Amino acid sequence: MTMTSRHTVEAPASVLTAPAAERPHKRTGAWRRRGRRLLWQMLALSVAALFLTPLLWMVVASLQPVGLPPARTLGWFPQGVAWSNYSEIFRIIPLARQLGNSLWVSSVGAAVTLLTASWAGFAMAQMAPPVRRRLVALALLLLLTPASAVWLPRYLLFSAAGLIDTYTALVAPALMGTKSLFVLMYYWSFRRVSLELFEAARLEGAGVWASWRHIALPLVGPTTLAVLVLSFSHYWSDFVDPLLFLKSAQRFTVAVGLRMLQQMDVTNWPLLLAGVVIMVAPVLLLYALLQVMLRGDAHFWRRTLRNGVGGENAQEGSPPAELSG
Amino acid sequence: MNLHHVRGALASSHRFGPQARHQLALWLLLTPFLAGAFLLIGLPALITFGLAFTRYDAISPPVWNGLQNFATIFQRDLFWIAVRHSLLFAATAAPLQVLGAMMLALLLHPPRRGAKLYRAAVYLSSVLPDVAYALIWLWLFNPLYGPINLLLGSAGLPQPAWLVDPATALPALVIMAALRVGEGMLLLIAARQAIPGAYFQAAMLDGAGRWQSFRYLTLPLLTPWLLLLLVRDVVLGAHGAFTPVYIMTGGGPGYATTLLPFLIYEEAFGHLRIGQAAAMMTVMFTAIGLLVGVVYRWANRLAYDDDL
Amino acid sequence: MWARVTLVALIMVVLAACAPVAPPPVAHKAQETILFLISGDPTDEAAYRTLADAFMATAPTVQVDLLNIPSGGDFRRRLAADFAAGAPPDIFLINYRRYGPYLAAGAIEAVEPYLARSTQLAREDFYPQALDAFTWRGTLQCMPQNMSSPVIYYNRDLFAAAGLADPAADWAWADFLATAQALTRDLDGDNEIDQYGLGIEPALVRAAPFIWMNGGEVVDDPVGPARLTLDSAASRAALQWFVELQTVHGVVPDAVAEAAESSESRFLNGRLAMIMESRRATPEFRAIDGFDWDVAPLPQGATRASILHSDAYCMAAASRHQDAAWRFIEFANTREGQSILARIGRTVPSRIDLAEAPVFLDPQARPVNSRAFVDAIPEIRTFPAMTTWFDIESAVEAELEQAFYGQLSLDEAIRNAEARSAEFFQ
Repeated sequence: MTMTSRHTVEAPASVLTAPAAERPHKRTGAWRRRGRRLLWQMLALSVAALFLTPLLWMVVASLQPVGLPPARTLGWFPQGVAWSNYSEIFRIIPLARQLGNSLWVSSVGAAVTLLTASWAGFAMAQMAPPVRRRLVALALLLLLTPASAVWLPRYLLFSAAGLIDTYTALVAPALMGTKSLFVLMYYWSFRRVSLELFEAARLEGAGVWASWRHIALPLVGPTTLAVLVLSFSHYWSDFVDPLLFLKSAQRFTVAVGLRMLQQMDVTNWPLLLAGVVIMVAPVLLLYALLQVMLRGDAHFWRRTLRNGVGGENAQEGSPPAELSG
Repeated sequence: MNLHHVRGALASSHRFGPQARHQLALWLLLTPFLAGAFLLIGLPALITFGLAFTRYDAISPPVWNGLQNFATIFQRDLFWIAVRHSLLFAATAAPLQVLGAMMLALLLHPPRRGAKLYRAAVYLSSVLPDVAYALIWLWLFNPLYGPINLLLGSAGLPQPAWLVDPATALPALVIMAALRVGEGMLLLIAARQAIPGAYFQAAMLDGAGRWQSFRYLTLPLLTPWLLLLLVRDVVLGAHGAFTPVYIMTGGGPGYATTLLPFLIYEEAFGHLRIGQAAAMMTVMFTAIGLLVGVVYRWANRLAYDDDL
Repeated sequence: MWARVTLVALIMVVLAACAPVAPPPVAHKAQETILFLISGDPTDEAAYRTLADAFMATAPTVQVDLLNIPSGGDFRRRLAADFAAGAPPDIFLINYRRYGPYLAAGAIEAVEPYLARSTQLAREDFYPQALDAFTWRGTLQCMPQNMSSPVIYYNRDLFAAAGLADPAADWAWADFLATAQALTRDLDGDNEIDQYGLGIEPALVRAAPFIWMNGGEVVDDPVGPARLTLDSAASRAALQWFVELQTVHGVVPDAVAEAAESSESRFLNGRLAMIMESRRATPEFRAIDGFDWDVAPLPQGATRASILHSDAYCMAAASRHQDAAWRFIEFANTREGQSILARIGRTVPSRIDLAEAPVFLDPQARPVNSRAFVDAIPEIRTFPAMTTWFDIESAVEAELEQAFYGQLSLDEAIRNAEARSAEFFQ
């Protein structure tokens, strides 16, 4: 399937309300296509703007001077720009320490997740079909379990195990790959890799460990990257677990730190939002990194979910050479 | 069953050599996942179920009291308020999310110039940490100074009090949730791009218009994914609203934003009525289980791909 | 690709290695560390830190770790979770209206025997109302630190600008309302109120004194209550007057204005003339330098009445440092200990010998009229001692708030409050 065919054939379906396609005269067709593309650009741009505006407002509000009642008009900086909010916030709450704590928890969580999720996905991919199907069903079921249903018993379990006020309690979910989605992502990726490869390695005497480490893992770099970013930001964003399990103020993560800041002075918007910007920035950076490194998100997702519809798109993806590239 | 497999593999390892040892190694690699799933989800679910039949305040040992907890919570109008709000939330936020994700996917799936950037812009709001997202919207919804009301005001439109007014507090949370559609959009873009272009060419040759090819080609092929998203959003929707409720409204004004997860949290950790909280969780678990079961059977009938 | 992934992973691990792991507590030749949990604003935290430091100077073997959870709700949940985990704070400071659940669960180590053995403290040193509030089935459970009650803090500059005299000691409800109305102003003529006359929380603890002043009751029996009596004529009339401050007279910020900026913040910024608060607000208000302020007693109705605001130091039954914890509590409640908090302005001392002392009535420190707190003591009443009282108060509060902001009729609110609190009276 070439790029051009995609444009001419698939694009029309994107504008639902446009009139039915017909076979136009060649020249008017070109004009029409250009007009349609312009329309699409405008539409897409305004949608993107709609989603970006809240972030923009957040940054603007975080730079308003503290102590004045907020402006009642929609201007950019009616009262001047207060960069000092960003240094003030580090003075008011131990934000540097909290950022460090979050970084530590999230890194450990992401690293462990990488191991457990890829192990599980790797093993699942090589199981016999009936077992495999049951494991996938289990993973999907786990995916649909709201965490709120297990807060309380987990709290009781962790306190019985003496894990309250430790980071172990926060990163415990990494044992099961954090979210079973990550296991499934690996599973789908490994299923894409020709299983004969593993078979051949086994016949040549390579153990499961070696074939995981030297054959399987290098083939699914993009998945690994995605799992790292997703799990890192999962632990970075986690609010309820640290709220429940952490006790000492010096162990608090950013999420809980912001809640504390919010309680101290609910109406001090600029400082609170400056804290939010600081918390959000690393997550956005990581996703930007992911975006750049994977060059084309949808392409990647399509591969991950290759068994989406029909399954004949399997031949559409490029050979493993590109995956490892 | 898993244990049975491991034992089988163990017993046969010396008799059948490498093949069995391979199986055993695979099960070993699966162990952290299975153990974690049991310890962090299976066992807690069992504990919850057990505690639902006890009077327990977390300090003195639990005392068996049969179905008393269920009788108590069913008589409590606060429980039913929370159930009603949770259902209302799920019934509005989830379809909006799926519909939004589908419309965005249909708009942004062609690989045109800038498409990736536009997708990233939409996706951003989904990757923001919950706390950050809630605090941002707390500011946006501020009735006097918030940008939303300033914008509405300058356009001469009415300015709702949003989170401060019981009538608009829950809708405000729904709006917030409905705008987090990034994951769904990406999934649907992937699914949409997976439909071979030849199908559309064929449809066009048969004289199908855009609406027809959407109605009879795109939509049916996307249905399994739409369904999956819908189930996910319904099941996890109310749970996902916990952090916003906790940060933004505390369940109020009145009980206008008291959703089930928040009520359970309050009962357990605010009032130490752990038995009743466990009973509520059991009810929630059961309802979700039934829903997932029904959808699973339905999906099974729909699915033509068993190679998941 | 794989190389880049490794690189990223490596960077993360390096960054993580630099991350601070929780450090050991500040070096102090302590043999025993006790955790002391409070809930307050930064000025509260500073006050209790001063107290803890003074104690550690006298007891070098004990280290007091102070932890402040600013929001009352989070404090409550945190405390419950700590008890559930079997790792409660050794000491926590809590209001008598809220300690019921812990009492019911047997989580509190009663201080009665410790007080009986103490050579430094005696029962007679303290106001009996404060002791009674923390007495359950005849045993003193926690050691009350203060004997506070709500008063009207007012901005003297705004009063003067409006040509109003300072409130009289015997002002009545009508005077109060008229004053609030005179001080509620639209200063720039844009049809929006820029200065409110009054800030008052729509809470039962604020409304109760007015119910009592009107001859009404909150519950049917102060000792063994079986139901709320907010629907009696006298109670309902008082509640109606209370709610109408906002719904009819508009002298209190409405829900939108309150959400945009809290009454407390408005008072601090000189845009709200009067605010009903307990002594708790004093340390923060002392930092005001833009205007002069003072306190006045509650306006009186048919009779006089006020309500006890008292917090006590409670010891956890599961604490392994009860003796050290008691030593801190004992110190905090000596003349010296209570003087520290009284000087900062945080408390109306629960010690009788301090309430009349210059350290509390210091004419150099604001509020000048601190005597208003002492004068109210004979009129102070308390809510009934019940382990479920907090549930009842929460149920009432959720309804009262809606009535106060005009989102629900008062009668409906009262009906809902009665219905939803009924199960907690059993």
